[in-house]
Amino acid sequence: MSATVATPAHRLPRTLVTGLLVVGAIALLAALGPWIAPYDPDAFDMRARLQPPSAAHWFGTDEFGRDVLSRVLSGAHHSILMGVGATAISLAIGVPLGLIAAFRRGWTEEVVMRCIDLMISLPPVLLGLLILAVTEPGLWKTILAVGLVYVPIMTRISRAVALDLLSEDFVEAARARGEGAYHILVREILPNAWPPLIVETALRITFAILLGSALSFLGLGPQPPASEWGLMIAESRPFIAEAPWIGLAPGLSLCLLLIAVNTVGEGLRDLLDPRLRGRGHG
Amino acid sequence: MAEALLDVAGLSVSYATRRGLVHALQDVSLAIPRGGAMGLVGESGSGKSSMVLALLGLLDKGARLEADRLDFAGEDLRQACARLRGSRIGTVFQDPAAALNPALRIGFQVAEPLVQHRRLPQPIALARAVELLAEMGIPRPAEVAQAYPHQLSGGMKQRAVIATALACEPELLLLDEPTTALDVTVEAQILDLLERLRRDRQVALLLVSHNLGIVDRLCDRLTVLYAGRVVEQGDAATMLRAPRHPYTRGLLAALPRADRGQLQRLAPIPGGLPDLTRPESGCNFAARCPFRAEGCDAPQALRDVAGRAVRCHRAEELGDTPWPRPGHTAAQRAPLGAMLLEAEGLARRFRLGGGFLQMFRSRAEVRAVDGVSLSLRRGEVLGLVGESGCGKTTLGRLLLRLIEADAGTIRFDGQPVSPRPDAAFRRRAQIVFQNPDSSLNPRQTVEQALLRPLVRFGLASGAAADREVDRLLERVRLSPAYRPRYPHQMSGGEKQRIGIARALASRPDFLVCDEAVSALDVSVQAAVLNLLADLRDELGVAFLFISHDIGVVAHIADRIAVMYRGVIVEEGPTQAVLAPPYHPYTQALLSAVPLVGQSGRATTRLRLVGDVSATGPASGCPFAHRCPVKIGAPCERQAPAMREVAVGHRIACHLPIEEMARAPHALMATE
Repeated sequence: MSATVATPAHRLPRTLVTGLLVVGAIALLAALGPWIAPYDPDAFDMRARLQPPSAAHWFGTDEFGRDVLSRVLSGAHHSILMGVGATAISLAIGVPLGLIAAFRRGWTEEVVMRCIDLMISLPPVLLGLLILAVTEPGLWKTILAVGLVYVPIMTRISRAVALDLLSEDFVEAARARGEGAYHILVREILPNAWPPLIVETALRITFAILLGSALSFLGLGPQPPASEWGLMIAESRPFIAEAPWIGLAPGLSLCLLLIAVNTVGEGLRDLLDPRLRGRGHG
Repeated sequence: MAEALLDVAGLSVSYATRRGLVHALQDVSLAIPRGGAMGLVGESGSGKSSMVLALLGLLDKGARLEADRLDFAGEDLRQACARLRGSRIGTVFQDPAAALNPALRIGFQVAEPLVQHRRLPQPIALARAVELLAEMGIPRPAEVAQAYPHQLSGGMKQRAVIATALACEPELLLLDEPTTALDVTVEAQILDLLERLRRDRQVALLLVSHNLGIVDRLCDRLTVLYAGRVVEQGDAATMLRAPRHPYTRGLLAALPRADRGQLQRLAPIPGGLPDLTRPESGCNFAARCPFRAEGCDAPQALRDVAGRAVRCHRAEELGDTPWPRPGHTAAQRAPLGAMLLEAEGLARRFRLGGGFLQMFRSRAEVRAVDGVSLSLRRGEVLGLVGESGCGKTTLGRLLLRLIEADAGTIRFDGQPVSPRPDAAFRRRAQIVFQNPDSSLNPRQTVEQALLRPLVRFGLASGAAADREVDRLLERVRLSPAYRPRYPHQMSGGEKQRIGIARALASRPDFLVCDEAVSALDVSVQAAVLNLLADLRDELGVAFLFISHDIGVVAHIADRIAVMYRGVIVEEGPTQAVLAPPYHPYTQALLSAVPLVGQSGRATTRLRLVGDVSATGPASGCPFAHRCPVKIGAPCERQAPAMREVAVGHRIACHLPIEEMARAPHALMATE
């Protein structure tokens, strides 16, 4: 019988490549923001208040005469940090919890999973609000809150994946060698659990960015005069009729980032999820 | 021959894949008359399934089909298949659980083709469905028609699938491994049913199977496929008695047979299937053929040899030359060593259901293993047989202390084994699994998998461990080139060998082989069985060999234990268990085994009804509810004790020993 050699992905899904290019471009702009911004993002210029887009101010100016383009550029890193940081936190807490729940079964699993159910039963924004309400707002607090909100989903996914894998014979073989929990979870289970977790992570970043911006919009993120996109949209609200560009620029940037990250996630799923393999990538 | 019902000539099927065009079927011809039965055999990858799909018009869109003739009752199947399938051509696939829709009632599913093809009104179709179920030998058909698939056992489900296939009274039944997923006792019931259908209704059968015994039982004609080509075709009985193509000879030589008992070694077919993207112009079996000679690389045509078609230019010249058996020059088996493993009164119950809400409710319990005692000497092979669900796997896991026992003790090499055994016991007692796809970690290379036990038990490190890995690979007849391979880069047989090598890495004295060869093709199975026999002889490893295949167990085991519903009902030396006196359950199991060239056995068959999962009495003999020779009250009230009928041969049954001894030999044809 000829062994079917796994074909390495010599053709990456087009969605993945496109998404990665756009995300890369945004990340580059965010990193270079302070240097390439044409103006100081926090500098007031009362003579140039609420100016529409022009050659001098590509995205116009806000109610204090600050250059919107410069503020969008300098705010980009907030959104990216929120997405990546919060997801990293949810992975760091959720994956071990899920693996341990699956491995121990019994009471450990019941306690962990019922706590998780409790967290899931609260709407994300409300849960984020609850966590933030007890502390001073700020970028890192927001990241922590958003990360905690997404712990349950990571726990559930890693538990489901681990439960599947734990019933495989190679785990039984490890038990027959008398291997401990650490070896079985880290050496046998985790390497096989990565593909679905990576896909979920990439898609989860989108939600994290969105929730972070929503919390900022509600005033629970970075505080003024910081140039966070959600906060900028909130600040633009009173001027939405006379100067819509103030809100439109960060809003569209947020949209672009979300779509790009989501595209990366879907591309990764096409690449890593064997059930979808062979269908051809659009 | 009467005019053919199914007439296929020059059928070729190819699939476009990334590696290129795969030629799954090349110029296949076969014909089945009305009421005829054709067997189609070959190993995985031979193109059997493509054949069935091609006849049904269900090939994938990427597949290309060419044929000179593809006729069913004078109509071209290429145009008419959508209209014919389900009405005049019925199909039964391997897995009855997958063939039935879990959300629909059985009756509805059986009635569906009648509504679809015959335009019968629903109530009439449903009434007919109940009749059909009754004809399939299903007790209480009206109730079964109201049931959902999950409420039925595997055998019942397969009967319902056959009822569906027969609903529109088809003239041809396509059977794709119809009994492979079933227990041997249930398989025998289904085979009886198919035999009766063919006789009473003149239904023609095309039986696709890897099991030559089933084909011999059911078919009068036989087609052997190898890598997409027909290599031999003709009368089934003649071909199985005197095969002419080397591949057919090899298939028969590789088959472990219960009626032959213990052979020295089986004859495996070396190598693997050729690359189907580049079909050879000459004989495609030549690379694996021990009779290879000059002229094999020339194109081979199907020729008429001794009343059948054979694709081999040496067919006449070879005559009755058998497939060469591997010479077994190694020293004869050493006498059995000291007592290694003694288990006393092992028991384990499982609770059904579970979860948080059920925690406070009382739950039904299953006694998976119910007071089993057994012992094993060094270098001894104990075969454990029984239907699925009788507790074989649980017993194997209990002996290795992989699941906790409710009661019982285990002594290993004279020392008691605690419920949480130390590394020394773990090193000496290992396990080989059934499914080669699941037994290796997909993210570990062969080298990593084999190094781990060495490191874990501190047996070797550095360069010594490296050499040890090579030695282990050599033990299982694989080259060191396999070290960097991942499981998906290997075939099933190769993966199974790595699984064995991993178990051997810690130099165990005791191996549990849980259906270790069941998932393998017969040629590969023979090679793995030979390997296990070598390990037994050369290393003195003792095996608990769990299998539902009695032929395999008869071949390798020194002693056999027969298990039913958590209890060992008969135990003794292999030859003694395979011959009378029998426990009635053993007799039923043995007589259900389909054997090649033993069709005369049919008259003496002992048939079981129902299956293991049917609930029996709480007390009394566990087998009483299915026992065909039950004597009445004692069987239901009192569990029979083990009685010694001969030295080392024990049976737990209330029947008088003389009566058990009078039973006919279940594996031989009686004259």
